[in-house]
Amino acid sequence: MAARSFSSASTTTILLRSGRWRRTMRAAAFPFRVSCSAAAGGTVVIGLAADSGCGKTTFVRRLTSVLGAGTAVAAAPPWGGNPGSNTLLGDAATVICLDDYHSLDRAGRKERGVTALDPRANDFDLMYRQLKAIKEGRAVAKPIYNHATGLLDPPELITPPKILVVEGLHPMYDERVRGLLDFSIYLDISSDIKFAWKIQRDMAERGHSLESIKASIEARKPDFDAYIDPQKQYADAVIEVLPTRLIAAADDDGDEGKVLRVKLIMKEGVEHFAPAYLFDEGSTISWIPCGRKLSCSYPGIKFSYFPDTYFGHEVSVLEMDGKFDKLDELIYVESHLSNLSTKYYGEVTQQMLKHADFPGSNNGTGLFQTIVGLKIRDLYEQVVAERAASPPALAAVA
Amino acid sequence: SGPATPPDISDKMSESIDKAKEACAEDTASGKCAAAWDEVEELSAAASHARDKLKETSDPLEAYCKDNPETDECRTYDN
Repeated sequence: MAARSFSSASTTTILLRSGRWRRTMRAAAFPFRVSCSAAAGGTVVIGLAADSGCGKTTFVRRLTSVLGAGTAVAAAPPWGGNPGSNTLLGDAATVICLDDYHSLDRAGRKERGVTALDPRANDFDLMYRQLKAIKEGRAVAKPIYNHATGLLDPPELITPPKILVVEGLHPMYDERVRGLLDFSIYLDISSDIKFAWKIQRDMAERGHSLESIKASIEARKPDFDAYIDPQKQYADAVIEVLPTRLIAAADDDGDEGKVLRVKLIMKEGVEHFAPAYLFDEGSTISWIPCGRKLSCSYPGIKFSYFPDTYFGHEVSVLEMDGKFDKLDELIYVESHLSNLSTKYYGEVTQQMLKHADFPGSNNGTGLFQTIVGLKIRDLYEQVVAERAASPPALAAVA
Repeated sequence: SGPATPPDISDKMSESIDKAKEACAEDTASGKCAAAWDEVEELSAAASHARDKLKETSDPLEAYCKDNPETDECRTYDN
């Protein structure tokens, strides 16, 4: 993405891309970088919380795809900076990884015997100050936590985007940071599914076995339960991933994690966020779309929609159990869902088809992530329209 | 199954697993043990990200065209 934006003369871009330009980043030496400057509407901040290995990356890719409509450019790391940077720049959204606010690097955590999940390993003061500055339209020099080396690298420059997505372990942990978020999402993966996913991810690694994967999950669990999990009560939307109910546990032949039951829990009464619904808003509905219009193979598909309470909040829940065989048949399901915030008929299906190779594209994880992405786009547009209608008292006079 | 993990991360990873087993030999409930397994988790995630990155550049033509956009097999015009 970067190369395109500099100039149309390809000779220049090739010269620039040769990589000689890399140097240690000091405030004075920031290479000029591509980024979306915030529109007059200011920056909208979205928080995304999940444990490591729970699909934050996939969600971010779906989200940036929805938000960056109109260009073929995918989110890319900042051009010419640190190759270990965790930041993604799209043309509407910038995604920053909150691991960059670790106060202790890998060696430091080891020395003190704390995990990255522990608040003591993170600098919430700096996180709050910098996110607040970006939201107010000021650029910040944010540290970089290098995952490969486990060290804190020199900072990179982050300029205020239209939409700032902050993803990591603790976006809703600190009350001040929470107050900055315009919308928050929590990815809640049940332990059995987490285990299955980590096996898929790590089994090929040398020296990693079932035992060591299990031991790793077990060892991190107390901190996860204490510091990460409680954040879901603050989320405006929670995506819960659970084992299927369509297959009885008895004849489940090691398909753990292949067929999923996914719930999208949407908080009621959140400003600029109208929950999606199935057929009739506020009813309780169970729907099996398989039949003449939708071909399903074993174990089929089942949708549910019902009102519920979640940590004392009124919520609406959409649930999908099972998986799609043919992605284009999703249009049949989409046409029965309302309040999706799509711009045209079939947009959800089209977004899913665009990324058919992403994990979760044939089940509820991909569907609900896409719907939440559209909801965030809608929220952003509403917020900007509102700010334009009532300009702040301190608007700069050109 | 896709590309293999780059050797440098892969080596670090198996090393950290051995260290974690060692750290947990005395006391599985200690902070030291949790921190050691947390490092394993961080490296697993880094390894999986590295594999994803390799997957993106696994198309030989795409990789070539990144460096040689002006050649016959790489030129694309929008209109």
